[in-house]
Amino acid sequence: MVRSSISVITLRVILLPVLVFLKIAGVTADQAVLPKAWFEPSRTASELGITKFSQSPILSGLELPSVEVRLGKDPLVVSPLADIGRYGGTIRITRNEWLTFPNVESPMTISADMRTILPNLAQSWQTSPDGRRLTLTLREGIKWSDGKPLVSDDFLFVFNDLWLNDEFDPIPRRMAKGGRAEKIDDRTFYYEFENPNPLMVNYVAQYGSFMFLPKHYYQHFHPRYVEKEMLSRRIEDLGFISWMEYIEACRRQLIEESVDQPTVDAFQIVERTPTLARYIRNPYYFKIDPKGQQLPYIDKIDQQIIDNKEVIAAMSATGQLDFSAFELKTQDIPLLKLGEQSGDIRVLIWNRLHSSDVVIQPNYNYPDKRLAKLYWDHRFREALSIAINREEMNQIIYFGQGTPSQMTAHPSSAMYDKQFASAYADYDPARANFLLDALGLIDTDGDGLRDYEDGEPLTITLEFVDWETPKGISLELVSIYWREVGIDLRLKLVDSSLQSERAQANKMQMTVWHGDKVTDILLPISPLWWAPIQSGRENTLWNDWVRWRQTNGRLGVKPPPIMTQLQEWADEMYSTIDDKRRIELGKKILDVGAKNIWTIGTVGLAPQPVVISPKLRGVPDNGIWGWDNRWTLSYHPSTWYFE
Amino acid sequence: MSDSPLEFDLDEVSPRQLIWQRFKRHRLAMVSIVFLVLIYLMAGFCEFVTPYGTETRNVKAINAPPMTIRFVDEGGQISLRPFVYGYDMHVNADTWMREYTENTNFRYPIYFFSRGERYRLWGLIDTDLHLFTTGHKGYVHFFGTDQLGRDLFSRVFYGARISLSIGIVGVVLTLFLGIFFGGVAGYLGGIVDRLVQRIIEVLQSLPTLPLWMALSAALPVAWSSIGVYFGITIILSLFGWPVLARQVRGRFLALREEDFVISARLLGASRMRIIFKHMLPSFTSHTITTATLAIPGMILGETALSFLGIGLRPPVVSWGVLMQQAQNYQVIVMTPWLLIPGLFVVLTVMAFNFLGDGLRDAIDPYSANREAS
Repeated sequence: MVRSSISVITLRVILLPVLVFLKIAGVTADQAVLPKAWFEPSRTASELGITKFSQSPILSGLELPSVEVRLGKDPLVVSPLADIGRYGGTIRITRNEWLTFPNVESPMTISADMRTILPNLAQSWQTSPDGRRLTLTLREGIKWSDGKPLVSDDFLFVFNDLWLNDEFDPIPRRMAKGGRAEKIDDRTFYYEFENPNPLMVNYVAQYGSFMFLPKHYYQHFHPRYVEKEMLSRRIEDLGFISWMEYIEACRRQLIEESVDQPTVDAFQIVERTPTLARYIRNPYYFKIDPKGQQLPYIDKIDQQIIDNKEVIAAMSATGQLDFSAFELKTQDIPLLKLGEQSGDIRVLIWNRLHSSDVVIQPNYNYPDKRLAKLYWDHRFREALSIAINREEMNQIIYFGQGTPSQMTAHPSSAMYDKQFASAYADYDPARANFLLDALGLIDTDGDGLRDYEDGEPLTITLEFVDWETPKGISLELVSIYWREVGIDLRLKLVDSSLQSERAQANKMQMTVWHGDKVTDILLPISPLWWAPIQSGRENTLWNDWVRWRQTNGRLGVKPPPIMTQLQEWADEMYSTIDDKRRIELGKKILDVGAKNIWTIGTVGLAPQPVVISPKLRGVPDNGIWGWDNRWTLSYHPSTWYFE
Repeated sequence: MSDSPLEFDLDEVSPRQLIWQRFKRHRLAMVSIVFLVLIYLMAGFCEFVTPYGTETRNVKAINAPPMTIRFVDEGGQISLRPFVYGYDMHVNADTWMREYTENTNFRYPIYFFSRGERYRLWGLIDTDLHLFTTGHKGYVHFFGTDQLGRDLFSRVFYGARISLSIGIVGVVLTLFLGIFFGGVAGYLGGIVDRLVQRIIEVLQSLPTLPLWMALSAALPVAWSSIGVYFGITIILSLFGWPVLARQVRGRFLALREEDFVISARLLGASRMRIIFKHMLPSFTSHTITTATLAIPGMILGETALSFLGIGLRPPVVSWGVLMQQAQNYQVIVMTPWLLIPGLFVVLTVMAFNFLGDGLRDAIDPYSANREAS
């Protein structure tokens, strides 16, 4: 394995021009390594002629129905990466991986090509010709881990009883607005919306794991199904203030009671303490391997709850974890590789899907009008962008293995255009100085930093949360580059709750987030980096313009014409049923974004270390890491096994 | 006594000379004072002493280990002018480690009083003269470089300027506050004294670190680096003065009844004159000792706050800031030279403590006698 990674890197050095091509078509390169079956709809046992089923030895001797009964009529067959695995073992991970390692099931999933949607819990789906209705048909015989069947009501419960409940979601989420879920029969239901919503299918594929809950368990905690007084007594007995709070905590596995809820995932939680969560295989899991063995191969998960990233990096490097990636960064690779030499771990290098690891966001609606006006000047944004030496950043932070880029679509996207990625991305401090001089920003007090025309110092404070991508070190470099052209950037590290609060209150002058939502699955739903359609802690570019749109002009500030245009395009991209038109609109939005540099990108598509135990098999050497494909789900963690 | 014959007539020896005589015998204190004078000089002239600025990056040497200064080259030839060999950087495709090997083909002599990066000494004198550089080619990193390829040697001395001056400025503030409150309490007595005593007790009963943390977290984000610098200094001295104030008060209480004070009062001297002309000078030496011993506390305070990420912030370079950047597991395993600033903190704090000890022994006649006997 080590040898193959050497040859990959040597190859990259020798074939640099080829590499550029491969990076753009990076997906094709990966497909060669991954099994073909992972890019196609999974087949079922009957289609493949599998009639004999078997189960993990730890399940024999338990009082359970036979494996055939539990698997249901026609289980789904998932091919492992290479060899058929063997049962057994406990995998040690940290809580931070709770969405990346346990196989989290969704009605549909996303193929490793980052754009194809594949069936999963749902065997088929259909969008009505007007785009207003998405009908899903669940696979027959899927059961919750307590043996109860998975039914349409479990989906309706979340959509109608939680998302449309104004106690649970006081501000309706964008995807639930003007919609409702209706049941046709126990396995068939639909989501219907007032306005065309043809991208609901993408949403269900990416976010679907959060769109259903075992109604037969949760209805005991919902005011629609329980008499009010009894409910409040029940919630109080559990030590909670409100039913919403209880459902949320239970669902997110934050409390001891979480072990009571059944699941359809590969593993069910059986123990939850403040420092530990334990999982055991779900005996009713609906997937098998091509030999008829019920998945997952691994029997148990031990999750430690550790907050400190340094500790996690150290544990990962010393073989105390069998799978670790979420809290690891590119700069950790040498340390991890050092650990690899001891033979206790293997370090795989995946690629993050973020087009830019750091998306620098000027707040165009910042209350200080002078600063906001400066941000709005194209020359200022251009100067800030070309003052950044992205190639040097790539060398210093990413060992030259990242891709200098502005914030644009992922290369796998049909909307990708490499000119969008390179617009105003070349280092040119002389021109940056020229532009800033032309703006009248001259250093009047002789401290080497530019001031406004009236002599007041120009300072920009950037607040940021340092997680997921290497933001701290990137920003330290950016602040140096900007100081070299006389811009005084001050960095302030905040924690994520403070970031949310300050984003909502529109108090930040500038902030950063990592550039995800860039694939064909998510970009058309929320092109939030290029149009004022939503804001929140990850996006604080234009709160007032977003609010104006959300409240139909009641609150916020009327956006300038170009922004209204972008909003209209985004709306149309979201609601059109014509795929060609959607791509065309997406390209337009990205083109305007590239020309206007709404946000400033640095380096993207960067190496992501994934640390695994050398005994863990079935993990691809190469993968794409990020929120858009839910980190690992395209790579079927239920087929990973211990040798 | 016998091995240090006095060079002057005993009758003419002033107290100052006596103190100096006693102090000289304290070897550690002597070493310390030399060290401190040196490091303060270097910090004061750090732009000149160091070859690079705080933000100059060398992309050819990221996380590079300290360089060896050589006088003898590969061929065994001795050179009077020291030199270093350039690094070959190679990212090991297997380990992703930046590996540095000395390339003997690139020999960079070190020139003294040579030209290098332009800078403004104390923001006033525009020059490019440095104590040493490698001229126009090559680079020299005595302490290695950090993860952005910045020269650690340069950063340590720029950091020294901030950290060491915080110690001095903070102690001056502490002295001022301590003498003022202590003097007022001790001289006036009565209700003022009781009030000051209660304030001191409250301040001393509070754990300092959490309090510092709370106060420095409250420093506005938008403050300039200089603002934050003074903010931190003030915070540190706010909690440093009670000890001194207690001592000053005690002295005042004792001195108030001394003959020379009483006679001054009877002669009609004003209160201010009595305090500043008669009482304060009588225990200056004591005050200086206390102040010396308080400086390391200030330096450590700044270091601790910056280390926790709530003190000074980049681009300001201080020892605490440097150590904050070195506070992870990776540094210890892979780039241990980034811990060098910590060594400087330890040495400086120790030097101040030895100096304080020496001063105390020199000033206090009883301790001197004890040592002499």
